[in-house]
Amino acid sequence: MSTEESTAGRGEARPGGGYDVPRGGRSNFEVWSWVFMRVSGVILIFLSVYHLVWWNLVVGVEHLDSELVIDRWANPLYRLLNIALLTFAMLHGLNGARYSIEDYVRKPGLQLAVKGVVYTIVIGSLIFGIFALLTFDPSILTNR
Amino acid sequence: MAKEYRSRSLGTALRYKGREGMWTWMLHRATGLGVLLFLIIHVIETGLIVISPEFYDEALLLYKNPFFRIAELLIFFSVLFHAANGLRIVVQDFWPAVMRRQRQLVWAATAVVVIAMIPVTWMMVAPLFGWADEPGTGRHLERCRSATTAPACVLEGSAEAEAL
Ligand code: HEM
Repeated sequence: MSTEESTAGRGEARPGGGYDVPRGGRSNFEVWSWVFMRVSGVILIFLSVYHLVWWNLVVGVEHLDSELVIDRWANPLYRLLNIALLTFAMLHGLNGARYSIEDYVRKPGLQLAVKGVVYTIVIGSLIFGIFALLTFDPSILTNR
Repeated sequence: MAKEYRSRSLGTALRYKGREGMWTWMLHRATGLGVLLFLIIHVIETGLIVISPEFYDEALLLYKNPFFRIAELLIFFSVLFHAANGLRIVVQDFWPAVMRRQRQLVWAATAVVVIAMIPVTWMMVAPLFGWADEPGTGRHLERCRSATTAPACVLEGSAEAEAL
């Protein structure tokens, strides 16, 4: 495999950052990644800035504790919002990491190994996070 | 074939004397990877709450260390920069006509981030020097009046008791 092939299919990089729409080919994976990065990115602007402003500036990290989080998580809609933040952020980050790996790790065997490790860590923590949000039981607050 | 702008290695990226496009591109990547790294740690630490709330409160002590405030500021900056620069890229992708105004767009995105970071930095750093209250102190005192046994309220009580 030539070094060119490991990023083949991705759109041309643009001078200001970002990439052209990939041409697609046998599979449209790169086209859908390109679209997903843009759609999830715009959604994440709202979700992550809200999250940061709320916990850092409104609540304040100094005043944070398990009870505040349990109170918040008692609302299923809030947990649903968190699942959205978690899933979009992790998949957006995972695809971004894939772009970096394909750019910097050019040896095919090594590239596959690095991808394996990074994908396992990211998808593992994504699953753990979803598990936490889905199995959360609000009564742990009253049972204490 | 269009000109190749993507740097193929970190070495060439660092030597490249690019203009706006190159430094925003590098910072976009660095902030993106940084936020991903934090997110992995953050999700694991948050998930601890379903295993044991006490364990979660222990983990939070790390956040409350004054040195971590610098990391928090970095995370805040990284998210804002990545968001503003990312939005600029999306605008350019879907509306190619504005590519001619790229330099102005880069500076506009940077200005938004810098201006937003001024009050954020003040709110997070000033309390460390006693120049202002921690963010959310009003809400916190209000809450502790009824939730006297909440971990954050108990912790404060003991710190005050020690100081006396
Ligand atoms: C220093 C800055 C941050 C602080 C103080 C903070 C604080 C918190 C707190 C208190 C929770 C638990 C309550 C809740 O679910 O809302 C939480 C959960 C979460 N945060 Fe953050 N956060 C920060 C930055 C971020 C960033 C930058 C992201 C994403 C890019 C993020 C993504 C998440 C996700 C996905 C969860 C849910 C995790 C799970 O349920 O497993 N946080 N954060």
